[in-house]
Amino acid sequence: MANEAEETVRKLSTHKGVAGVIVVNGEGIPIKTTLDNHVSVQYAGLMTALVDKAKAVVRDLDPSNDLTFLRIRSKKSEVMVAPDKEFILIVVQNPVE
Amino acid sequence: MPPKKLPSLHGVKMPTIWPTKSSEKSIGLLLKKLKQKEATKSRANLAEDEGLDWLKPRALIKPDDQEEVSEADLEEEVGRVLCTVNPQWVPDEVAYHYGRAMFVAKPKPTYGKAYPLYIYQGTAIRKDSDEAKAQIAAGYGMVGFDDAGPKRAKVKKSAADEEEEEEPEAEPAAAAEEAKPEEDAVVEEEKPTEVEVPAEPTEVGVEGDETVAAEGGEEAEPEQKEEPVDDGSDEVLDIKPRVKKLANQFNFCERAALTYNFPRRSVDTQTVPPPRANYGATALQCIIFDFYQEDYAKKLKEKEEEKPKRLRKKAAKHAKSAQQIHDEQLAQRIREAWAILERLVNQNIYDDIAQDYRYWDDPSDEFREGMGSLLPLWKFQFDPMRTHAVCDIQWNPHYQDLFAVAYGSLDFTNQQKEGCLCMYSIKNPAYPEYAVITESPIICLDVYHEIPYLVCVGRYDGNVCVYNAQLTLESSYQYKSDSVKDKHSNIVWEVRWGARLIDGEASFFSISGDGRVVQWAVMPGELQATTIITLSSNVPPIPGPDGTMITINSCGSCICFHPEKADIFLVGTEDGMVHTCSLKYNKNYVRSVQGHHMPVYRIHYNHYNNSIYASCSGDWRVKIWEDGRDEPLFMFELGSPVGDVKWAPYSSTVFAACTADGKVYVYDLNVNKYRPICIQAVVSKKTKKLTRLDFNTRLPVIVCGDTKGTCHVLKLSPNLRVMCKPPKKAQGVDQRTLQIMKLDKLLSLVRDPPFTPGVVDEKFEED
Repeated sequence: MANEAEETVRKLSTHKGVAGVIVVNGEGIPIKTTLDNHVSVQYAGLMTALVDKAKAVVRDLDPSNDLTFLRIRSKKSEVMVAPDKEFILIVVQNPVE
Repeated sequence: MPPKKLPSLHGVKMPTIWPTKSSEKSIGLLLKKLKQKEATKSRANLAEDEGLDWLKPRALIKPDDQEEVSEADLEEEVGRVLCTVNPQWVPDEVAYHYGRAMFVAKPKPTYGKAYPLYIYQGTAIRKDSDEAKAQIAAGYGMVGFDDAGPKRAKVKKSAADEEEEEEPEAEPAAAAEEAKPEEDAVVEEEKPTEVEVPAEPTEVGVEGDETVAAEGGEEAEPEQKEEPVDDGSDEVLDIKPRVKKLANQFNFCERAALTYNFPRRSVDTQTVPPPRANYGATALQCIIFDFYQEDYAKKLKEKEEEKPKRLRKKAAKHAKSAQQIHDEQLAQRIREAWAILERLVNQNIYDDIAQDYRYWDDPSDEFREGMGSLLPLWKFQFDPMRTHAVCDIQWNPHYQDLFAVAYGSLDFTNQQKEGCLCMYSIKNPAYPEYAVITESPIICLDVYHEIPYLVCVGRYDGNVCVYNAQLTLESSYQYKSDSVKDKHSNIVWEVRWGARLIDGEASFFSISGDGRVVQWAVMPGELQATTIITLSSNVPPIPGPDGTMITINSCGSCICFHPEKADIFLVGTEDGMVHTCSLKYNKNYVRSVQGHHMPVYRIHYNHYNNSIYASCSGDWRVKIWEDGRDEPLFMFELGSPVGDVKWAPYSSTVFAACTADGKVYVYDLNVNKYRPICIQAVVSKKTKKLTRLDFNTRLPVIVCGDTKGTCHVLKLSPNLRVMCKPPKKAQGVDQRTLQIMKLDKLLSLVRDPPFTPGVVDEKFEED
């Protein structure tokens, strides 16, 4: 499992345009990252809050529904978030070209 | 007058009583009694009086001219006497009558000043009367006739009660009469004898009646009263013990009692306040929902536990620990999350290609009648396999976006050490979905139709393996022919899954450079080899180094099974022969044709007509054959060794071939029998060669592999995938029938007697 995760992170980070991959645990602490430490911490903290909020929005509209993924497109990059009860995966990708 | 007698008086009028001097004494007595009575007034009344004090303050207002009276005078009792005779009455009053001019006596009632104003006949009857007696005899009169009801009647039963009742009644009696000491004595007696009590009232009654009669001359008949008096005194003696007093307005006593009021007192104590804490939470709908879900799950669990133990044990045996399940689920969720993230990243990277794949159709096709083009889409590469050649490539029969690639090497002078089996999805061009490195180059592969994750591969070292793509990479293969006795001793050139054996095991066939076709039965845990046929060659046996004669087998290079007849298969050899073989004969060929002059690389049956097949070879040619003909129906020269040829799954007349000079040729025999409708250079011919290609069964794309480990996915332009238009006569015919008809029509033209196989040998100007 550990190998698999390592391999996956490595694989993802070699994709074109991928600026960083962050694995955040359930407490909002980044446990694996390819970015700088402080950037990772910032991402982890902000994304945890955002994910909680987004999840509350989705769940409140329909309690049997749930948030599965979150994509944030910005001018400079795109942040893709895979939220879960026990982890959050964050991938930051800069657009090609 | 005792009250007992009163009700029986009809239309009674109290005799007018006037105060007289003689009765002064008795009045004084009466007053005393009244005072006594006041003193015994019930407590409640007292309280009431006191309670009213606040209403009027006790300021005595005296008129100024009030006469001063001495205390002694105030104390003095002034008696007033009531007497029965009106002192103001003048018995013989006269008035002057002017009419007659004389005094006449005033007409006046003889009985004084009493005027009957109203006479009412009551329902009460005198108890001494005959009627009353009759009623009493009949049992009436036991209970009082008043509203008090039975309860009150019961209360009256006791003798003590009777006394008490009599007490207040005695007063009016005393007031009415001239108070008799006798009477008082009787009242105060503890237990008056039954004879005395009734006797006295009767006496009083008689007296009363007499006074009334004497004073007023009452209207009521005296006979009526007098008679019962005599009878009553006799009769009462008999009746009295039985009869209770009849209740009337005088025959009751009102009693009230006030209990002692305890003074109020309040006692307070203060305890130590319970510990407090502030708690705040938001009750979102989802949180409530979750709690209900949890609760429901808990209840289900409880229900489960109620099941008999025997059943539970069974379940428990298979159940994993909660932690294990949780871990597995978590791992699975992480895997899925990664997979989706990878898809998202890829979507961003390859968005333009995906758009092209979906929407871009070469617009120039409209103007080029019968010509098409191929649009290059994704390129697939696996980094460790950059120097390897794609030796085989095949779309997955079940997942339309997935294809399997065998990495090996075709440069036999500089053979690679290892190979690789990869599965790519067009959704993820950057990395293979599944990749396993093998210790020997892989030359060929085949994906099992029934179980799309089972892949059998043939390797350079002569082994065949079965890979299960569902298993993790550590257990890379499921079956390997390493330890099998009859395994191939040369490169395995092609593997093909076959029908299931009688026992239900899957089986596949392999053809190898050692000249044998072997059937492999996939037994649980092992492979079992059966040699189907040994490909004999017509080369005479040559003497070996030690003088023994060695028979040389022809080297098989490809194999292809008949789509319907499961025991018929075609075998291509390195010397260009195409043998038709049957599983039933292990020595002889059914037919043998010298198809090519160089190794046959591929034989492929048409999807719509089972007797038509195409072959390609290193002699630059592609030939279309019909079963049973020694000469090909069509022959095309492509100017370079042809690595692969495949019929299109969507059309009966379209096939594609790829050549070593990096071009893909697409033919549509229906459009042009002589020239390809598309020639597209996919790779540079200087550095790369195209090795294999495959049509996707559902999407309008082909994939081809080159010698540098790259797979190219190309989209067929609209002209390359023209479907049949149904003729006007037969509109409802389905596409398959139309395709078969199209091919048959074409074949009938070609089969005509002046048939010459010489449509070939044509070098294209485009080259």
